[in-house]
Amino acid sequence: MEITVQKESHYVVVKAAGRLDTNTAPGFERECAACLTGSKGKIILDFSKLEYISSAGLRCILSMAKKLRANGGDLVLCSLSGFVEEVIRISGFDIFLPIFADVASAAHEN
Amino acid sequence: MIKVEHLSKQFGELTVLREVNAEIKKGEVISIIGPSGTGKSTFLRCLNLLEMPSGGRIFIDGTDILDKSADVPKLRQKMGMVFQSFNLFAHLTALENLTIGPVKLLGRSKEQAGKKAMELLKMVGLAEKAGSFPDELSGGQKQRVAIARCLAMEPEIILFDEPTSALDPTMVSEVLAVIRRLAKEGMTMAVVTHEMDFARDVSNRVFYMDEGIIYEEGPPQQIFENPQKEKTRVFINRVRSLTYHIRNQNYDLYAINGEIEHFCEKHVLPKTTRNKALLLVEELLAIFSAGQVTRQFEIDLTLSYSEKRDSLELVAESAGDYFNPFEENTLPDQLGTTIIKNLSENMEYQRVSDRNRFSMTVKKQ
Repeated sequence: MEITVQKESHYVVVKAAGRLDTNTAPGFERECAACLTGSKGKIILDFSKLEYISSAGLRCILSMAKKLRANGGDLVLCSLSGFVEEVIRISGFDIFLPIFADVASAAHEN
Repeated sequence: MIKVEHLSKQFGELTVLREVNAEIKKGEVISIIGPSGTGKSTFLRCLNLLEMPSGGRIFIDGTDILDKSADVPKLRQKMGMVFQSFNLFAHLTALENLTIGPVKLLGRSKEQAGKKAMELLKMVGLAEKAGSFPDELSGGQKQRVAIARCLAMEPEIILFDEPTSALDPTMVSEVLAVIRRLAKEGMTMAVVTHEMDFARDVSNRVFYMDEGIIYEEGPPQQIFENPQKEKTRVFINRVRSLTYHIRNQNYDLYAINGEIEHFCEKHVLPKTTRNKALLLVEELLAIFSAGQVTRQFEIDLTLSYSEKRDSLELVAESAGDYFNPFEENTLPDQLGTTIIKNLSENMEYQRVSDRNRFSMTVKKQ
């Protein structure tokens, strides 16, 4: 999977492309760990290019959200595609994680 | 009428029929179905001794035709046979093909045989082709002449060996229509066929042959709607399957995914179904890995696609202690089991022969 991190003044966009599964979740977690260090702002996970996600990926997201919220920050998701969106919804992640249509709307939501 | 006991047939080292036991009663229409190479045609050819059985006994009206004292030519006359490749005499007209047997073997006069032959050609819809040679007939017409020729010998039973396999699809129905008519008139018949609709509609009983035996037999409704045995089910539902054996906790998920993707592509399954299958397998493996309480790590995954039902079934079997992750408090979290429950239906857990067995159907929507 490919991960790109884009840092803005009040938020960070982490864009994941490909598959977030048992094999790729540890790498994703490592990449994201750097963004989390001392972060009190918002992290936007842009999943527009993510094709597949399993519970291994969901656990990473859950762990990141918990750490960020503990520091007063927040984690939001945007641009979910068909299958990824289905998995996130059936897992109940849409209940406790804000989901936006795109990066712009995620960035401007307080 | 026909009773077969412990029939076997070997060709050199190859055992085609292992232990066939069957009974065909007067007026019955038996369809013989099964995968290629399972001995269906050999069974039929053994019945009229076109192939000499290696063992067993065949009784026709109580007479053992394999007994040395049996009058085989006379017993054979009771059985007509229709072949895949027609086997008409090319140098004789359709009418002559029908009269030669009755004249030479039954002692009929040419006039008697000719009259009967015309009646039979009319019955199969080919009276106007009486003077035509086989070369001048279509495949379907040739096979109808072959059936009429068979009837001209006044058999008590007709054995059909894949009578429509060599025909263009457009000609299959005309031949099946003639066989259907014979069934209606009460002719005893055994038909080796790949025409499943025909077997379902016309037969009184169906023999499913596999492994050199009549693996399952029953009324068409049972065989086609509710087959009792695994191989019959696989054949009837046109099931194709992929099995993957995992013997190490450091399994290669990429390789497993590659095989599943290839399997799904081969059967032209939609991308969403493929993704669901991949996710179900990944979650099951993760759960088994997390719940592994013994040193043994042994999981067999089987993905089966039924073309007839257009459904994809997943079965995961694990060796070792009792382990049902769908019971409460078995796992640290319920993420994996929630995903599995939502992406599948008809999920079942069974403890079979010291193995944990999960089966489920991949949800379509």
